[in-house]
Amino acid sequence: MAVTAASGIRAVASRAHRQEFVAKLLLRSASIFVVVAMGALLLYLATEGTKLFTVDHVSPFQFLFSPVFDPDGRKPGSLVFIIGSLSITLFAIVIGGPFGIAVGVFLAELAPRRFVNMMKPAIEVLVGIPSVVYGWIGLTLLVPLIRTLTGSNGFGLMAAAIVLSVMILPTVITLSEDALKAVPDALREGSLAMGATRWQTIWRVLIPAAGSGLGVAVILGIARAIGETLAVQLVIGNASVLPTGLLSATAALPTEIVIDMAGAQQGSLLEHALFSMAFLLLLIAMLLILAVRFVMRRRT
Amino acid sequence: MVEIPGAVTVKVDVEDLNVYYGAFHAMKNAQLRVSERRVTALIGPSGCGKSTFLRALNRMHDLTPGARVTGSVSLDGMNIYDPSVDPVVVRHRIGMVFQRPNPFPKTIFENAVYGPRVHGEGNRAKLMAIAEKSLRRAALWDEVKDRLFKSALDLSGGQQQRLCIARVLAVEPEVILMDEPASALDPIATSKIEDLIGELKRDYTVIIVTHSMQQAARISDRTAFFLLGELIEVGTTSDIFTRPTDKRTEDYITGRYG
Amino acid sequence: MADAVLTLEAARIQSARGVRARRIADRMATGLLWAAALSVLAMLVLFMGYILYLGASAISWQFLTSPPSEVSAGGGIGPEIYNSFYILIMTLAFTAPIAISAGIYLQEYAQPGFFRTLVQFSAESLATVPSIVMGLFGLLIFVYLLGWRFSAIGGALTLTILNLPALMRVTQEALSTVPRTYREASMALGATRWATIRRIVLPSAIGPLTTGIVLIAGRIFGETAALIYTAGVSVAAGKGAYDLNPFRPAETLAVHVWYTHAESVVPDVARIGNGSALVLLVMVLLFNVFARVVGRFLTRRFTGKA
Repeated sequence: MAVTAASGIRAVASRAHRQEFVAKLLLRSASIFVVVAMGALLLYLATEGTKLFTVDHVSPFQFLFSPVFDPDGRKPGSLVFIIGSLSITLFAIVIGGPFGIAVGVFLAELAPRRFVNMMKPAIEVLVGIPSVVYGWIGLTLLVPLIRTLTGSNGFGLMAAAIVLSVMILPTVITLSEDALKAVPDALREGSLAMGATRWQTIWRVLIPAAGSGLGVAVILGIARAIGETLAVQLVIGNASVLPTGLLSATAALPTEIVIDMAGAQQGSLLEHALFSMAFLLLLIAMLLILAVRFVMRRRT
Repeated sequence: MVEIPGAVTVKVDVEDLNVYYGAFHAMKNAQLRVSERRVTALIGPSGCGKSTFLRALNRMHDLTPGARVTGSVSLDGMNIYDPSVDPVVVRHRIGMVFQRPNPFPKTIFENAVYGPRVHGEGNRAKLMAIAEKSLRRAALWDEVKDRLFKSALDLSGGQQQRLCIARVLAVEPEVILMDEPASALDPIATSKIEDLIGELKRDYTVIIVTHSMQQAARISDRTAFFLLGELIEVGTTSDIFTRPTDKRTEDYITGRYG
Repeated sequence: MADAVLTLEAARIQSARGVRARRIADRMATGLLWAAALSVLAMLVLFMGYILYLGASAISWQFLTSPPSEVSAGGGIGPEIYNSFYILIMTLAFTAPIAISAGIYLQEYAQPGFFRTLVQFSAESLATVPSIVMGLFGLLIFVYLLGWRFSAIGGALTLTILNLPALMRVTQEALSTVPRTYREASMALGATRWATIRRIVLPSAIGPLTTGIVLIAGRIFGETAALIYTAGVSVAAGKGAYDLNPFRPAETLAVHVWYTHAESVVPDVARIGNGSALVLLVMVLLFNVFARVVGRFLTRRFTGKA
């Protein structure tokens, strides 16, 4: 449909325009699907996750704060799992957070080009290793190690925390590196030009300047840790008791779900309780997303 | 700031043109009549809005989120900003060459025939003819006729820019907009482009943004001077450079600011 | 704010005292950071070596092709490997059109505004959902609501939703590598936006896009938590384990590793675990290498010539 000068410049319904219309429609529909998927997820999990309260008439207070988990006796207190999840996540981020940020700083500021090019694929492989394999390494390597070093049976908080901290490393490293790379060179040069050493520049100027990006790295590391299921399940010991120390076997929200879901009858109290736990995890995840948005908006 | 065209017709008529980038008022109330088959140069210091003005002439601001254009730009009497007008068709008739040569990562041939292809031309023989015609007119044919199916990215900067010009010529526009087309090129390539512009004006209306006053003096028939988002003065090139009316024009011409 | 930081630091740094102490601190810190980075590399080498060492003895043709056993020793992982690939291909077939389309829309069409923010927020949220939660969602919809019971397609659809955000991000990043001037030149020649995307932008972005897809494929291959309660922990018996019926249970290799350690009662758990871990690791490495190779090849082919 060649257009000649004589045909003026009024809109012409050509094939290209029809294709544009159809393409835009399809692309937009795909985007809407994403929104619908998320909405459906929220809706279904909220519905099923509150059946414990609406259908079985268990009080949310008991669900959240009672340490007694006895679904057969209508006492699905999930405090054990909540505390378990929070503990391992806390320890994982305390170990893995600074470690990951350190490596991220290193890659962004100190490492020679060739080293960085070697680390990148290495980190990609670490990310790609399936969580079951991490769990299996934890099971066959770490747990016996803890057993010989401490005399306990090896399963428990410590094993889970260590496995988790290794698993969140790649996330924290990559995001920290990005955060530091985003700091303008002018700050680097300004600091060095005043006679500051490399480390002083990093510690006093760059890290504060990258603050919000590093915050995001930590928050997303937490998100990864809280949701991790299989690796943790294999090493945490799966005892529905509150942890008393680093070496005690305990359980976490995702691990409890994965263990007991198989035996849960559809419609039973146990099944509802497990869905409530899943819904709780979902709410925590959304909270973390909002935290990320909040941190990003606060950057000066 | 409007001169009587005389025997030459007005091809593009700009009236009350304002361009806003968000809250920033980038072009204020510009009026300009562009004569057919002449070269009109837009000059002025950096940031004066000459590129903004140029881009309003083929509705390129449609592609910039947050940009807003008011006023009218008439091509042969019809306002291209009228709601019933199709920007795609506008761009068939008003073509643009950019500052940095930007051939597509395709063969030379594919670059040259890209315009006709997207307009629906599929006949291989016709496309070859179009390619040859455009490349000849852009003074590039002899240099590339033996390697039409090699990558366009292998050409030198000057050749790439002439390819971009050929690309525009292939859609048979009536007006060619050029945004500092030679600023990224060496002097020899530049003079080739300038010679080409001299040829092109026989068949096309050319509007060229240039930061070089010497270039404007060399190749243009009429010149418009911009400063801080305003069109200050327009006239024949010799008038502007020898007897400017406005003091600000004179200051720029004599080098008071860059 | 940054200027204030610099001024304060200038004052502190200028003091002549403690230059030597600062230099020592600098060297120590550098050393620590090097140590941290090297330990990450060491960890990787350790893991790979460990898996290789333990798993090598378990690998045999028999192991790789025979079906698993429920109670006795000598089970293999043949059907599980098949299921892993089967579900992977199905998942990619569903995810790619939706995610790439949504990515193109966000990157090339969407104006800043409510809809754009909504889609981005949905994608970010989906990305943070733990895979076990996604698995339970799949359980609700495909197993309970639609009544499919454990099925390969249920697992694939669950994984599709799980991976939409990742592939969207890959698409958007790949598209952003294409210089803006290409789009401008194309549209200035009178092409519509879709024509520009189809003819110029997508071909130029195909390298990074494919790399991203293959890397995501690697992650899908290792996915477990979302599949346990959607695709199940068993395989069909006999030849039925290798067919194309999407509505049968389909335990994948990764799920099998977990199942053997968590629930199964066979006596040779260690052997199966070691061998499976090795196979998984090899597959991940292959995906990683393949991703780079294919990406580089496609980039050269689509931006150098045609």
